[in-house]
Amino acid sequence: MLVAIVLLALEPFFAPYIKIDVTIVSAALLFAIAAMSANLLLGYTGLPPFGNAAFFGLGAYGCGLSLKYLNVHFITATLFGMLAALLGALIVAPFLVRRRGIYFGLLSIAFGQVFYFIAYRFTSVTGGEDGMSVPRPYLVFSSFTLKETAFYYLSLVVFVISLLAFKLIVQSPFGRTLVAIRQNELRVRYLGLDSNRFVFVAILISAGFAGLSGALSAMLNGFIAPLSLDWHQSGDFVLATILGGSGTVWGPLIGSLIYEIGRDIISTITPYWQIFLGALFVACVLGFPRGILGTILARVGAAPLSNEPEEANWTQSPAIAADHRG
Amino acid sequence: MLEHAGPQIFNGLVLGAFYAIVAIGLSLIMNLTGTINMAHGSFMTLAGYLAFTMIARGTNFWFAFVAAPIIAVLVAVIVERTLIRPLYGRDPVYSLLLTFGLSLIAEEVFHVIWGANTLPFAPPASLSGTLALGFMNFPVYRLFIVVVLVLAFAALALFLYYTRFGLRLRAAVQDTEMIAALGTNTQLLYTINFGLGILLAGIAGVLAVGLLGLNPTTGNTLLMPAFVTVIIGGMGSLYGSIVGGILIGLATSLMTLYVPAASEVVIYVLMAIVLTIRPRGLFGEEGLFG
Amino acid sequence: MDNALLLEARDVSKYFGGVHACDGVSIGVRAGSIHAVIGPNGAGKTTFFNALSGFYYPDRGQVFFGGEEITRMPNWRRIERGMSRTFQTPSIFPELTLHDNVMLGVRSKAGLAFRARPPSREQEAALEARVDELLGFVNLTRFKERPVAELSHGSQRLCEIAMSLSTEPRLVLLDEPMAGLAESETERVITVIRGLHDRLGLTVLFVEHNMRVVLGLAEQITVFDRGRILAEGTPSEIAANEAVRDAYLGKEVLDHV
Repeated sequence: MLVAIVLLALEPFFAPYIKIDVTIVSAALLFAIAAMSANLLLGYTGLPPFGNAAFFGLGAYGCGLSLKYLNVHFITATLFGMLAALLGALIVAPFLVRRRGIYFGLLSIAFGQVFYFIAYRFTSVTGGEDGMSVPRPYLVFSSFTLKETAFYYLSLVVFVISLLAFKLIVQSPFGRTLVAIRQNELRVRYLGLDSNRFVFVAILISAGFAGLSGALSAMLNGFIAPLSLDWHQSGDFVLATILGGSGTVWGPLIGSLIYEIGRDIISTITPYWQIFLGALFVACVLGFPRGILGTILARVGAAPLSNEPEEANWTQSPAIAADHRG
Repeated sequence: MLEHAGPQIFNGLVLGAFYAIVAIGLSLIMNLTGTINMAHGSFMTLAGYLAFTMIARGTNFWFAFVAAPIIAVLVAVIVERTLIRPLYGRDPVYSLLLTFGLSLIAEEVFHVIWGANTLPFAPPASLSGTLALGFMNFPVYRLFIVVVLVLAFAALALFLYYTRFGLRLRAAVQDTEMIAALGTNTQLLYTINFGLGILLAGIAGVLAVGLLGLNPTTGNTLLMPAFVTVIIGGMGSLYGSIVGGILIGLATSLMTLYVPAASEVVIYVLMAIVLTIRPRGLFGEEGLFG
Repeated sequence: MDNALLLEARDVSKYFGGVHACDGVSIGVRAGSIHAVIGPNGAGKTTFFNALSGFYYPDRGQVFFGGEEITRMPNWRRIERGMSRTFQTPSIFPELTLHDNVMLGVRSKAGLAFRARPPSREQEAALEARVDELLGFVNLTRFKERPVAELSHGSQRLCEIAMSLSTEPRLVLLDEPMAGLAESETERVITVIRGLHDRLGLTVLFVEHNMRVVLGLAEQITVFDRGRILAEGTPSEIAANEAVRDAYLGKEVLDHV
């Protein structure tokens, strides 16, 4: 772990040699945080999170708007962003929590789309289709705006904190219960635990991570547009998770690095990098459902907590079996 | 305002018919094999582009109208056999992700071949203009769409309920193991079922581009509402898809008239309401996808 | 209060479409007893168990547990109240070790499952001790660190029983505990079930087809037939019951009672 951090910390010095711009790696680190949000729901709880872009976008707009109108310090703005994402999650979670499997996925897409269209239409606030510009954060005690390298280190710090938080959560009793829910939710309930409560909180935590990623990404790019809330963006987060290895702690980072760096490299060769992204997705789903890290771990014998390709599992939450059981 | 309601209601019905036919295609594929086809919109767009190219090369509209969906089905069969078949029996999330990847590839491929701009696709002269029926003028092309789609629904219903093959298909949805034990080639059944779903998508695609324009994402704009239709109508119910489609088609089109800002969102609000009151959809069967 | 009814079902009915899976079933289970439910396949036994344990709610009738009405109580709360259940196919966590399988219930009972903070060293020690205790009771201690997927069917069944004990229940519902077991494994499970009653003083309600097991273990038997109760009584009463004999008990089995 330390090795990885050290490597990442030294990246700005490597950059000219390996032609990977610091900005790209910043983007990858922030993307990884969003991928972690997807990972928590997909890899650990077993729910397909296709609406997380909405939380990402809420984080971004929340941050941007607070910078613009409230003129706060960027850390406060980030917190505003996360708060916005959490509020969004509080609205959406009660609907989502009663569903499992593909219903959860489709419903999350649907809610994500609602936020997307709101961002699109609410032009007076969000700038509509053209998006909204977001000022770069500046250090409190000086008026420097954070340049690329400084922002990179900021992203790195935030990423490391997020990773540690993620690790803490999935290894905690709460996280272990999530893993159990993924494997056999009925049994979790028959051990006296209200699984819906766990799922609810998992959604909130996921939204928090996504919002954090959104807020910082907005500041990195100086910009946020409604398209970032579209479910295709959610799909990209899920892609990164699966590529790297869903159900593992480091998987999202690996997947995000591949995604961002791969995109950067391929787009210098051809503007049609999306074909390769799509092909990668397809190949991954068919050949490496465990993702890169997952496959490696499985070979080595230390199978991660939870990412077997499952048998068809489209049951509704056993919690409300009474409503529909036939 | 109210005199505008008439045409909007008609438009809503046309839109609803589109949603319904796309939803039925999705449903067919989902019900039998549990495959969530996120590339459904891409097949629609493909059919549209194929028709466009054929017409540009000189064939007439009617030939293209028939040929394009068929070619799309051929592509679909290849895709099904190579890429989708390995995922049968796995969690539907995988098919969702795989077809999502396919849709990304497709969108970019369309971009490469035909460019990102919206291509002009005018319906043939015989179908343009309006027709006065009763108290309103109906655009001929939209009437044509309605006629074609209604015929398609009817043909599908006849196929499913009055032919032996249709019977096998319906039986397989109920119990795949039993059908296999009785000697049916289930793999072939899956392929044909997928092809059938794409055929419907292809027809919708060719019709839609005359209405919505032709660009790499035309099909995708119909995809999400189609999923919402499936959810509202109830997974497992083809009849539900029709009712659901018409419902949200009307809702969208009337909303565009009265509260335009909410027109895209109204279908999701409806979906949330339906799911809260009746989780399995208006006509959904219990136990199928929860 | 030994003879008080721990579990009581009054007129419980559950319909699926036109089928009366369970029709007006009333049963009383005395605290501290071992009570068996028998009947042909499709007679409604599992449906009844499902209604009792909150897998779904009955369409009609009421369920009382420890004097409290629980008819529409969510299943997880019934577990908190002291009910516990196993399923026809062992419902366990296939990717976890035996230790982790049992630990979740132990943690749940201790109220430490919904926590971000890991338990303190003392709490952890207490939890581990409890896991060891449970594994010892079902005689699976040697498999503690093994993935349950590697265990035999019988051991998985015992794992499930250990899990159902982890929440410190008063009543244990066992749905066909012998299903799919080899002869040698059956003995182990019988011993454990008897231990639930004799050593732990629990009330046991179990569904079973194996008549030898039922007649040997049960103090009270309820016979189901087509969604209704056909007969109820002690093993000898049931064995002597004409209607039950006619329905499906073979003569040889009864002669061995």
